[in-house]
Formats: sequence, C-alpha cells, structure tokens
Amino acid sequence: MRADRIAAWFAVPARWYLGVLFVGACLHKIAEPASFALDIATYDILPLVAVNLVAIVLPWIELYAGAMLIAGWRVRASSLIVAAMMLVFLAALWIALARGLDMSCGCFASQGAEEDPISRVTVLRDIVWLGLALFVVAFDRGLVGLDHWLERRIS
Amino acid sequence: MSAESRVVAGARAQPFRRALREAAVVAVVGAVTALVINALRPDGLVLIAHTPYQTLVPCPEPGGPVEALDAHDPEITSQRSFLVDARPRADFDRRHLAGAINVPYDWLDPVPEDTLAELARSIAASGATRVVVYGDGGRPDSGEHLGKEISGRGIKNVYFIRGGAPAARALEGG
Repeated sequence: MRADRIAAWFAVPARWYLGVLFVGACLHKIAEPASFALDIATYDILPLVAVNLVAIVLPWIELYAGAMLIAGWRVRASSLIVAAMMLVFLAALWIALARGLDMSCGCFASQGAEEDPISRVTVLRDIVWLGLALFVVAFDRGLVGLDHWLERRIS
Repeated sequence: MSAESRVVAGARAQPFRRALREAAVVAVVGAVTALVINALRPDGLVLIAHTPYQTLVPCPEPGGPVEALDAHDPEITSQRSFLVDARPRADFDRRHLAGAINVPYDWLDPVPEDTLAELARSIAASGATRVVVYGDGGRPDSGEHLGKEISGRGIKNVYFIRGGAPAARALEGG
C-alpha cells in the first residue's frame, strides 16, 4: 500500500507535465486550424472528408484534457483521453515512418520537415508520454487538485 | 473465479467504467465547443474539404529553405529522391546522375512559372519525398539557388548537393 501511495504522489507531477504539454500543443492548432489541417493531410492517412473535422475538433479535446489534468479534475477520465490520443498519434507516426515520409511531426506547430522531422526519436518520445499517461490512469488518486478539494468539501 | 473475487473485480471496474463515461462526455463537449467556435470565427474551416490539400506546396514566398546534402549521402540515389540538374543543357547532356531531369538555372532570369509548375507535377507524380538539386558547384552554386527557387514556390523537402555536379560524380564512380 505504501508503494501505491508513493506512486500516487509521483502521478501528480506526471499529470501536470502532461497537462502543460497538451495545452501547449493545442494552442497553435487552435489558432491556425488551416495549418493543422495541412499537417494532417500530409500524413495521408485520413480521407479528405475527415481532415478538416479532425483539425477543428482534436485540439479542443487536447485543451480540455490538458486543463483537467492541470486542475486535477476528473483525472482518470482526462488521462484516459490523453492515453488514447497518444495511441492515435503513435499509429500515425508509425505509418508515416513506414512509408518513408520526410515530413514535420505537426505535434506542436506547423514547421518544415527540417525543423521538426518525424523519426524514431519522435516515436520513442510519444511512447514515453503514453507510458506517463497510463501511469497517471493507474496510480493517480487525486492527491492535489479539484477532485481532492471537492471530495473534502463533500465529506 | 470465486464469487467474492468477482465482486472485488466488479468493484474495481466501476470507477474505470465511470472514467470511460466521463472521457466520452469530455470528448463530446470538446467537439461541440470546437464546432461552435469554428462556426463563429471568421477564419473557420469548412467542415468537409472538397479540394485535396497540396501537401507539397504550402508556402507562397519566393526563396524558400534548402538544406545541403553531402555528395556521398546515400539518400541522393535513393528512390525517394527526385533529382534535378541545374546546369546548362550541354553539360547535362555530357553527363548527369541517373534519373535526373534538367532545369537549367539562369542567373539573370528566374525559372519560368510554367517550368516550375511542370516540375511540381512531375515531382508529385513520381512519389518522391524529397527533391535533390545539384548545379555547377561554384560559388555561388546554381544548384543551391535553383533549390531555393523551387522551395520558394512551395515545394517541401528541397535539398542541394554540396559541391554540385563535380562532387556528385563520385556517386557514379567517375
């Protein structure tokens, strides 16, 4: 049980980190939806009819999930969303690399392939973030944040 | 599994199911927010794109970025590279890298728009993921400048061979 408690404390900075990461990643995508749509289209995975819809919706879900992780509100739900997104991003990266595409990741901002190229390092980075999200899903007990505060007020 | 352990497993699954439900709610609320804001903003996207995105031509300004490749870089002869020879026709006819096409670079006249458009079409049709330009290898290098011109017309992933054709001859063993 003590190990669980320690893991729960480690989960707090982990979710703050993921929260800041996701909020930071979505800002450019929300501000420049056309650039983000172009990034999605460059992956050449989604059908054309889905490209704009995903470019519009995805960053807002990132924003909500990231903000909830920072605030510590419904942490398990928001970390599940982050984990699911990381799985999707990993699949997209994997497919792009398998096709040998020289392109920008599009993860944080629309850049040239030479500034933010996809590579095995990008895949490894996303695997680490996926692991962190799963760690939060498994071990976060809402020790710091709105969940904790609301629970104390109710009890 | 005993009845007791089934009860324990069920009790553990409860918060997880609740989290899944909440995650679905967050996704729906996020999607609705996104669609409403997109509808309100002046630069909002149409929900369904009708014309394919030109993934090779994103930026309109002339003089785009190019990166140098070493003449021994194996990527030059990779099938993913689209080779462009920037030297005069006579030099190209004498010798060129296998698979290269000739787009002579004129220091006084920019490359005509229709030539660049034709080049962009050829690159797109080839399935190549990078454009490698080589020129006379001088200072300034016609390959680098043609590369910038191509990149500036919006074609991504443009490289030039450092040292130009003289350095690239090593690739042919010449």
